[in-house]
Amino acid sequence: MNKSEVPMTEKESLELIASMIRRAKEACHDTGVSAIMWGALIAFCSLEKLAELQFGFHLPFDIYLLTIVAVIPQIIIQRRENKLKKAKSWEDDFQQALWLSFGICIFILIFLLNVMLPVWFKSAEEYTAVTGKSFPFQLHEYTASLFLMLYGIPTFITGLTMKFRPMFWGGIICWCASVASMFTPIKADLALLALSAIVAWLIPGIILEKEYRKAKKQLSEQDV
Amino acid sequence: MFKDLDPILHSQLRLAVMSILISVKEAEFTFLREKTKSTAGNLSVQIQKLKDAGYIDVLKQFKDNYPQTICKVTKEGVTAFEKYVESLQTYLGK
Repeated sequence: MNKSEVPMTEKESLELIASMIRRAKEACHDTGVSAIMWGALIAFCSLEKLAELQFGFHLPFDIYLLTIVAVIPQIIIQRRENKLKKAKSWEDDFQQALWLSFGICIFILIFLLNVMLPVWFKSAEEYTAVTGKSFPFQLHEYTASLFLMLYGIPTFITGLTMKFRPMFWGGIICWCASVASMFTPIKADLALLALSAIVAWLIPGIILEKEYRKAKKQLSEQDV
Repeated sequence: MFKDLDPILHSQLRLAVMSILISVKEAEFTFLREKTKSTAGNLSVQIQKLKDAGYIDVLKQFKDNYPQTICKVTKEGVTAFEKYVESLQTYLGK
């Protein structure tokens, strides 16, 4: 008898529905690769910058430029994942739009700071030259707070909507670190940036990757 | 009073396909075949029946020079599925 014509009881129908929904959901797991990459990269850049300040050396380029270079592997990862994905979940479009908006906001902020900071440094120098005092407001001391505030938004929303607690708490930690970094010196700000990247992205990414592998293994066992 | 079960949905493979499509935005034919463990021929026939009933949309396109069939549930499909589950619950509550 054809599989589609096998008679089913009401209970069997409900069991079939539940099992198919579960299978479909398990197949739409996030790989966590992007979260791992960005978490590791931001943590590395922040710690390298901290080491530069601590030990008084300078790289010939700004280490944060690596974040621009990392857009290329991100595009490759995204394209590969989209290609491998045979089903699109309802959350996929939302997640992509959310993280794309976040990326755009980060680059706008970088651009804004690159316009603002040289003007501010010049004004601060003129102020010191005229008054002999240091400028009372140190703009560069607050840049980490702005980045951490932005880091928290997509992380918190992803954690909340996907019911993924590590990212939910990661987002909250980013915001706590944002507030804390307003009152801490630059070296501590960089440590907070590294810590937030590890807690908000690297660790959740590793958890996601493990869950993805587990789900993949379970699915392949079911398909045997 | 028991409600009649929708004959289009009260079939193992068609119900399996609809249950998957309800959980995702869209799915490729190969994904449905893997998850339902059915043959391509049988699945094609059942997908066509669901399409004829207006429960799913089927989009045929090319991806990297390979033909690709994408299925997604329609509003009518969602309503029919909800009614079907409601009817099942009525039966099980008897």
